[in-house]
Amino acid sequence: MSQIEAPDYERLPVKPDKTYGLMCVVPTRSEAVNVQTEKQVLAWPDGLIRYVLLFLVLFMVLAVISLLFNAPLEEPANALHPPNPAKAPWYFLGLQEMVSYSAFWGGVGIPTMLVLLAIAAPYLESKPGGEGVWFHSSRSAANWIFLGIMGTLGLLTLIGTLFRGRNWDFVLPW
Amino acid sequence: MQSVPHADETRGKSILHRIWYSIFRSPPLPVSELDRAQSVANNFFLHIHSAKVHERALRFKTTLGLGLMTFFTFIILVVTGILLMFYYVPTPEKAYDRMLDLRSAVFFGTFLRNMHRWSAHAMVLLALLHMMRVFLTGSHKSPREFNWVLGVFLLLLTLFMSFTGYLLPWDQLAYWAIVVGTAIAGYAPVVGDQVRFILLGDSQVGSEALLRFYVLHVAVLPTVLTLLIGWHFWRIRKDGGLARPREDLALAPAPAGTGSDNAPEDAPPEKEER
Amino acid sequence: MSDTKLSKDRPPKEGNSRRRVLGMIATGALALSGSALGLLTAVFFKPRVTYGPPQKFRVGKPATFTSGSEIAYQKQAVLVRREGNQFAVISTKCTHLGCTVNATDIGFECPCHGSTYDRRGSNVSGPAPSPLAWFLISLAPNGDLVVDKDKKVPAGTYLEIKA
Repeated sequence: MSQIEAPDYERLPVKPDKTYGLMCVVPTRSEAVNVQTEKQVLAWPDGLIRYVLLFLVLFMVLAVISLLFNAPLEEPANALHPPNPAKAPWYFLGLQEMVSYSAFWGGVGIPTMLVLLAIAAPYLESKPGGEGVWFHSSRSAANWIFLGIMGTLGLLTLIGTLFRGRNWDFVLPW
Repeated sequence: MQSVPHADETRGKSILHRIWYSIFRSPPLPVSELDRAQSVANNFFLHIHSAKVHERALRFKTTLGLGLMTFFTFIILVVTGILLMFYYVPTPEKAYDRMLDLRSAVFFGTFLRNMHRWSAHAMVLLALLHMMRVFLTGSHKSPREFNWVLGVFLLLLTLFMSFTGYLLPWDQLAYWAIVVGTAIAGYAPVVGDQVRFILLGDSQVGSEALLRFYVLHVAVLPTVLTLLIGWHFWRIRKDGGLARPREDLALAPAPAGTGSDNAPEDAPPEKEER
Repeated sequence: MSDTKLSKDRPPKEGNSRRRVLGMIATGALALSGSALGLLTAVFFKPRVTYGPPQKFRVGKPATFTSGSEIAYQKQAVLVRREGNQFAVISTKCTHLGCTVNATDIGFECPCHGSTYDRRGSNVSGPAPSPLAWFLISLAPNGDLVVDKDKKVPAGTYLEIKA
């Protein structure tokens, strides 16, 4: 960047009344020959081929699941016969579990705070370091807080999904 | 860096040759680095991606492929969803019958519905896992804060997308899940009942709710989601590719004037993958 | 490239207060009309007519209810109670997550998650966070009882009918 902000006017005078454009491309092996680019590989084919393979694997897994397991379909909707227990989709069962303890905090208060916290997270954690490394030691506090929150939500979702039966009583799924 | 073939270059070549170059501007199987870089940079769909990727970003361990897989499930959902739309009617009288018809009277119908359903669950799960990967690798930190924020909104949209789709089969599972789910929204102070009423278009789950959820599910949310996904990907390139440790960044400073043309304005020329 | 050298061709920006004021007015006008459009759209989404069961409906003459009876209207999710010459309407929509509660000897019970209420509709046990609502019941000019679910009344409010 610095060399662009302060061009070497002596060697390469820039005339203010002219516009500049790319005039030609010199054929070489590499686009740029500085050290920074050494670990770069071309998106085509190195990246794209991996993406396509990943897609194929994912598609096949989903296709096999779809062949083996049918999507659930119960009786037609009937407003007069609520099932016991009535459950929200699985990703909301953590919320529903919290709602059974406290209606406002479980359903609205805590979820809103969690979303705001998630949005604020990168701005709160402003000290640089540990980027791109799994469980970097300098970020263990942040990671533990995050894992704690996600773990709690996961546990609540699991309880709501598997361990809640008739009357929202605690039951064992087996 | 445009490479429009000169009229001279294509003159006398076969018509197929000329058609190909009128569309793609670079050879079908590019060999030189320049052609390979340009086949990405000059392609409408691929130019959102950087032409070069840091080799670290392509290692499976770096991302576990979670973001890409989330995107792929979205593609599968769009395709299967559009196909399902051809046989679906969003009214309480007909919706459930159409589910039954999908099983018995539509070629491939069961498979399509299964695929749509399981991919939807997979997308929610993968988006959550992707979020965890990003946080646990510290990839949300400066300068990628805003892309993380976009990601949070993408997650919320994905949940809402799945929730609106949940009602459409109009069976007991769907109906009561939405009754219970929208009742949770009603707990918001002051505006809760209003939000619920506007969402359902009525004071209870009925034909209006089905219509509203359908429009949200097939038109509004997919459009917003597509735009945000594009923004999310573009930001990866503009933020200098995937986050990577300082050791990899702190290499010799670039000699003046050798920056790659594909480099983002502000970052070292490297990048990519989600 | 060299911004510093090109910028001398442009007129100086600072001190041109007329341009700035006009810019602020234009921005303000745009913001105002933008939010007005947003508000209109929000109002658009609030339906004026609903197609489900109406919020205000007739339940018949008082004489059709026997004293001590409790008649449930499942579609409208209310229950009409008569005690002597007193009438009341209690919501049968569970305050927990919106399921329809059933009347029992001692009050109400929700079949979804087991919340129970006493005969006044006060929540007794289970996850329900608040009592069942009581709605306004009144006498139409032709002698029919009219329930209005848009109007809540305090628990224990009865309509006295002179027989």
